[in-house]
Amino acid sequence: MSTLAETAPRGRTRRRMRIDGWRWSGRIFLVFMLLYTALPMIWMLSTSIKSGFAATQFPPQWWPDEPTLASYQKLLDPQNSVGQDFLRFFWNSLFVSTVTTILSVIVAVPAAYAFSRFRFPGRNFLFFTVLLRNMFPAVIFLVPLFILMRAIGLVNTHGSLVLTYLTFGLPLAIWLLKGFYDNIPVQLEQAARIDGATRFQAFILIVMPLSTPGIIATAIYSFIGAWNEYIYAYTFLSKNEQLTLPVGIQRFFSENTTDFPGLMAASFMMSVPVVVLFLVLQRYFVRALTEGAVKH
Amino acid sequence: MTIVTGKAEARRRLQPGRSGALRKIWEHRADYGYVLPAIAVMLIVIAYPIYYTVELSFFKTPPGLQLRDKIFIGFDNYAAILTSEVFWKVTLNTLIWTIGSTFFSFVLGFAAALALHRDFVGRGVLRAILIIPWVISAVAASYIWKWIYHSDFGIIGAVLVGLGLADRPPNFIDNVSTVLPSLIVVNIWREFPFAMIMMMAGLQTVPDQLLRAAEVDGANAWQRFWHVTFPHLRNVSTVTILLLAVANFNSFIIPWIMTGGGPSNASHIWITHIYELAFGRQRWGVASAYSVLLFLMLMTLGYFYVRALAGNERKEGSA
Repeated sequence: MSTLAETAPRGRTRRRMRIDGWRWSGRIFLVFMLLYTALPMIWMLSTSIKSGFAATQFPPQWWPDEPTLASYQKLLDPQNSVGQDFLRFFWNSLFVSTVTTILSVIVAVPAAYAFSRFRFPGRNFLFFTVLLRNMFPAVIFLVPLFILMRAIGLVNTHGSLVLTYLTFGLPLAIWLLKGFYDNIPVQLEQAARIDGATRFQAFILIVMPLSTPGIIATAIYSFIGAWNEYIYAYTFLSKNEQLTLPVGIQRFFSENTTDFPGLMAASFMMSVPVVVLFLVLQRYFVRALTEGAVKH
Repeated sequence: MTIVTGKAEARRRLQPGRSGALRKIWEHRADYGYVLPAIAVMLIVIAYPIYYTVELSFFKTPPGLQLRDKIFIGFDNYAAILTSEVFWKVTLNTLIWTIGSTFFSFVLGFAAALALHRDFVGRGVLRAILIIPWVISAVAASYIWKWIYHSDFGIIGAVLVGLGLADRPPNFIDNVSTVLPSLIVVNIWREFPFAMIMMMAGLQTVPDQLLRAAEVDGANAWQRFWHVTFPHLRNVSTVTILLLAVANFNSFIIPWIMTGGGPSNASHIWITHIYELAFGRQRWGVASAYSVLLFLMLMTLGYFYVRALAGNERKEGSA
């Protein structure tokens, strides 16, 4: 670089100007994307701390003159019937998502490990069958699954949700984890086995610790997927006390749609757990998602 | 890479003559134990529903899921679909929705990834903020944007009026001609971060030396992008676009919550239409026939999907 600068100073300045042009257009673009991304979320927050009256002013106030936490108090108050429902939906979502996450990891880890390490006949066929599941929309499975769940008595139970969430979460979980196992050198396990470890011991002692980031990522992915799922919950559950948040909120606000601050407060609180989870663990999450698609 | 199952491999090498397919399966019998739980769950929840959907698509079904009273009618459900006007309307909507959402999500995500590639102060924070829409629930996103588009108190309408661009707030989602683009904007808001994450990871695999070499040879920024960066990203781009296309083709929540397919079917896409036929109007047979058609279309798309993923797989094997 330095020799280049000495021999061709004019070329260098011109190049820098041109690069600056690209850099500036990149920055302007990022500002635009930031506004596009953040303004709706800010508008949600700002509405959620307005009174019902302030929310329906024209022209609207960007930020309320008299911010109030009344909507949040109402939603989180167990004495209030609205609060009772909201807290129950919240708990239901938490329960279903947590159980789904634990089961996903238990089922996906051995499968991903096998797809990564073993070369059994039909491996590719099975692997792509698993991946193909993600191609098909919930709607195709909805009617027959509804009948199936009714036949085995799972309609209106959280079990029906856990079972279905498990299957649509598994393909990606297996794919993500396989990417991690592919990058762990086989030699490490072989060394352990030469030292007398069984395959299982080698897996638990060598592979598991190394794939912890992948397992964390898979768990977050399952959790977020289950937390945000709507269509199965909307179809399988009808009893009010069993609804999860996305469906519950809809049932709740279709009755009195003028309560925009309440709706925005509920949307905000529904988003908080997954956003916090994501922000805390984002490096695992981002890494795992790209591990499968991008080979280094 | 291939020699992992030590004992089985050793035995096979000792007896090279006997290598039938069944024998291979038997040798690897322990391996199947690992994938069995996953396969079992998938079978119950996939194979059975697919079989059942195909069967139902040939029947006239009474409402209320009293399926014992169904009547075999052959291909009548299919004929009814293909001759209905709604079918073509919904298909056109689905195409616009899928292509529009995929194209803009990919372009915006890719551009954001390029702009975020160079380090600067606040880059990590900015990246995290840009990803948040992808993490929050589509139900919450739908309600937020429904409120933004609100015909009386919506913020976009108010800004347009404030700037003197409109006399009164426009009605974005109750208008046949603006509803679909308005919903696509919401969908892009949720989807571009995914493309951004994928392409950011892809960019990290472009070798710096190549870019520097091209620079020394006098290539300008655009030439370096087009001749060095972009060819390196072909694989990850294909996978990203396919994943986006599949996800968009299958989306349900945003149109369902924001408009329910209206006004006058202007925002119905395949999935919402099928859902309404099945659970709204209880026409299970027709809905199943729709699902089978959808299935066939997705299998075609799936062929390319698997080929793209398999291409990745082969590369990894040779590397």
